[in-house]
Amino acid sequence: MSFFGFDTNLPRDRGHSTNAPGFGHHDAFAGLGGGEDGDAIDFEETYDGLGDQLDETDDAFNDDTFGGPTTQQGVGKDFDFAGETSKIAGTIHEEQMLFQARQPPSQQKPSIPYASKPTRSGYENYNNPDYIPQLEARADIWGLKPKQSAAAAKQPEFEAELQPLPQQSAGAPAKKMMSLEEVEAMMRGQPVQEAPTPMIPQALPQSFGQQPVPYPQQVPHGQPQYPGMPGQFAPHILQRPQQPHLQGHPSRQQPIHAELPAQPVQAQQAQHPTILQRQRQQQPAASQPQRQIPQQAQNQRPPSQPRQILQNPNRLSGHGQPMMQQAHPGPRGSFPGHARGPSFPGMVITHPEQLMALSKEEREAYLEEDAKRAKRNHKIFELSKDNGLMTPQDKNFITRIQLQQLMSATGNLDEKSLEAQIAEDFYYQVFSSIRGAPRQNPHQPANQFAQTYLFQTNSRFGPRRHGRGGDNHMQRMEQQVQRAVEAAKAKPKGKQLVIEGSLGKISFSNSKTPRPLLNLKRPETGDKIKQNKSLVADRKDTLRNIEAVYMTLMHLEDHDRTRPPTITEGSQPEAIQAHMEWRTKTEALRKKLWQDIKIMEPINPQSTTPHPFISILSFAKGKKAIQRIFAHIDEQERITVVTMIVVHLDQLPVVSHAVATQDEPLSASMREEVELFLATVIPPLFAHISESPLNIIIGLLGLVLDRTNMHVVARSKVGMSLLTILISRAELLKQSAPKIDSADWEHWTELYNRLFDVVEPVLPVIFPGNVNDTDDMYVWQFLASMGVGASPEQQQRLVLGVKDRVMETVTVSKALPAEMAGARLANVNLFMRAIGLDVELLG
Amino acid sequence: MDEKDEAHEPLDLVRLCIDEFVVVKLRGDRELKGRLHAYDSHCNLILGEVEESIYVAEEEDEGEAPRVRTVKKQSEMLFVRGDSVVLIAPSEGVKQ
Repeated sequence: MSFFGFDTNLPRDRGHSTNAPGFGHHDAFAGLGGGEDGDAIDFEETYDGLGDQLDETDDAFNDDTFGGPTTQQGVGKDFDFAGETSKIAGTIHEEQMLFQARQPPSQQKPSIPYASKPTRSGYENYNNPDYIPQLEARADIWGLKPKQSAAAAKQPEFEAELQPLPQQSAGAPAKKMMSLEEVEAMMRGQPVQEAPTPMIPQALPQSFGQQPVPYPQQVPHGQPQYPGMPGQFAPHILQRPQQPHLQGHPSRQQPIHAELPAQPVQAQQAQHPTILQRQRQQQPAASQPQRQIPQQAQNQRPPSQPRQILQNPNRLSGHGQPMMQQAHPGPRGSFPGHARGPSFPGMVITHPEQLMALSKEEREAYLEEDAKRAKRNHKIFELSKDNGLMTPQDKNFITRIQLQQLMSATGNLDEKSLEAQIAEDFYYQVFSSIRGAPRQNPHQPANQFAQTYLFQTNSRFGPRRHGRGGDNHMQRMEQQVQRAVEAAKAKPKGKQLVIEGSLGKISFSNSKTPRPLLNLKRPETGDKIKQNKSLVADRKDTLRNIEAVYMTLMHLEDHDRTRPPTITEGSQPEAIQAHMEWRTKTEALRKKLWQDIKIMEPINPQSTTPHPFISILSFAKGKKAIQRIFAHIDEQERITVVTMIVVHLDQLPVVSHAVATQDEPLSASMREEVELFLATVIPPLFAHISESPLNIIIGLLGLVLDRTNMHVVARSKVGMSLLTILISRAELLKQSAPKIDSADWEHWTELYNRLFDVVEPVLPVIFPGNVNDTDDMYVWQFLASMGVGASPEQQQRLVLGVKDRVMETVTVSKALPAEMAGARLANVNLFMRAIGLDVELLG
Repeated sequence: MDEKDEAHEPLDLVRLCIDEFVVVKLRGDRELKGRLHAYDSHCNLILGEVEESIYVAEEEDEGEAPRVRTVKKQSEMLFVRGDSVVLIAPSEGVKQ
């Protein structure tokens, strides 16, 4: 017979489909339950009459074969899969109905049936914006008997799938919507219409005889609680009592009943309430005395099905619904197996009438509870938006990776050497030590992160978290290094292992030290290469020099990291020893660095190639190295460097090639070079010069005047900036301590006058570009520094030299927006104020 | 002079080009020109301010030589996987 292609629009479904569209439309088997309606296809129409052809002559021995009233007592229920499932079959269906009932009435589109969803995360409901989830802990979490409640907690379709044993043992394919038992039960719910199979007469008395009848006593418990809906508890009251009983009587007949399609009583006991309803009408009441109560109850008030279902506490956990058992403590008390109450203190009201029936305090309490719950559920919903994206396996995987990284980066400091750690993530280490240093407040977020990961693993900062984390870090790192060095010493070297007695060798190789395939002997460094090297500093040599400088710099900086603790008088001899060794090595490295920068190469004025040190400065990376070099050289060496740069000022590409004219502004790349020089080389020079005494300034300015082409220097930004630095430093010295050494001052004045005379002719052309070029601040600064020290006569000459530019700028700035005009006029004013004037006077 | 001044292995020459503009020839008729920020033993490169040139041979009718069209792309920063690197040359040296 065909189960498919049924008219799924049963009157039952239509009855509530207006407010609960959804499952009913998709339940292919729902039609089986609608026997009393003319629309439904009843069993008779599809039944092929095969049952009539059965030979029933020997049915009298069925009791012997299948176990009669006496023998069945001894039948174990170890394999009572179908029976177990059928016990909750009603629950399954009710779950569906519950879902259906929860659909908002306005949502008329039929919801997608569960069966069509390939995967379910359990959060589908959250797609519904109106849906407020209600969470409830699963009872089995609390160690309660999960037998029924856990099963009921599952989603309907899971119910069918996750309990495969009953169905598969019964030979039925796992159906998404209903189990075979359910279908059978539904069919059995129409006993009058369908021709009873011969087995019924035998089975009925048995089941009746064993059916416990505890529920009559319990109905009174349930009913008084809810006078408004007395009958709605009947169905589940009807079902509940079976459970303790079943557990107490393992030798029940359940399996047989469930698999024999003509066992209406058993099926009804376990089945959906609607079936009960139908059976009520169609079956002789005398044969089912225990059904009287539900019938009466239902008759008193024709219940709406969804509501009925909602009354069933077992239904609710699947969707995170609150326990309903709170609402009827009477029945619950008698079902210890379902005592999941603690997770839900409040009662649940599913119908307004229930609310009305409550007393005022109760109602208030309920509403308050409800609001709280809604709030909490909303929060949970917010938090759980992305739940289920990762499987537990995914999470474990990620956790493992994170732990591994943590271990390799920080966790195993005691075992790993500092070098390995730094090699692992050098830039992170540097970054964190740079960024970490100023963060001294332990309450800052970043430190919380550090606490989480570092302090917990008890590595990095250890217990001494106060003060500068970086220092502690460094100290710890130093200790680590010492330990690591010792460990490295203890470890046998060599890349091969020969196991005694074996013929082969085992070579160790890793990414850091690959196994050498070729073993070439390195040629001795030939002398011939050395010879003209320092003379011909071609490009490649310069690059090599730079690399050597960087190499040494990195060694030095690396060595700095391993600085042993400062020695005091009470230090251990070993510590003193370590410190001395460290200092010796530092000294050696510093010497090497000094050699590497080639600054001590003899200056050869006739040479066509620039000095090697100056060549280094012609590369961007060379410029960038200066600042780092300055950190490692002493005062005398710094003076040497400054002197070297000053002497070769006009040879620097950023000076010699950076003379802009009105017609030919600097190329973008040259501009970049100049900016880089100003940003990397000038600051250390400036820092040094601004602390130098007058005689150094005099010496430097003298060198500039004597050795360089002042016209080039004065017209380049770098040169002019350097001159500005020198002059302003001298001016500062003059103002702070004017009369210290009059001889020096005389010398200085003489130099200044020379400078002035040299610069004066180029004054009209010291400005790069035309008036509209805004990058002229450095020129005004230079003019200002010149003007401050100038005599009145020199000031006159200065003004004459740049008068045009001043006037032009003032004129131009009038047309500019106020902000830009202000900036430009301020630049001009730098100079004007230096000579006691102001642009305002010109306006 | 110590030994560090000498190029002991080919990649030491690449090292000289660090922070300089280099021309990198790649498999698949591509060329890059950019500032070499970093490299490793596999010739994986990190280049900055890169101009990538892709030479696309457009099929012409029979008998004629395919015309080469050049597609240029600019990238601020580029990671080049070493297995496609054919050649690394200093760009400045090439120009001068």
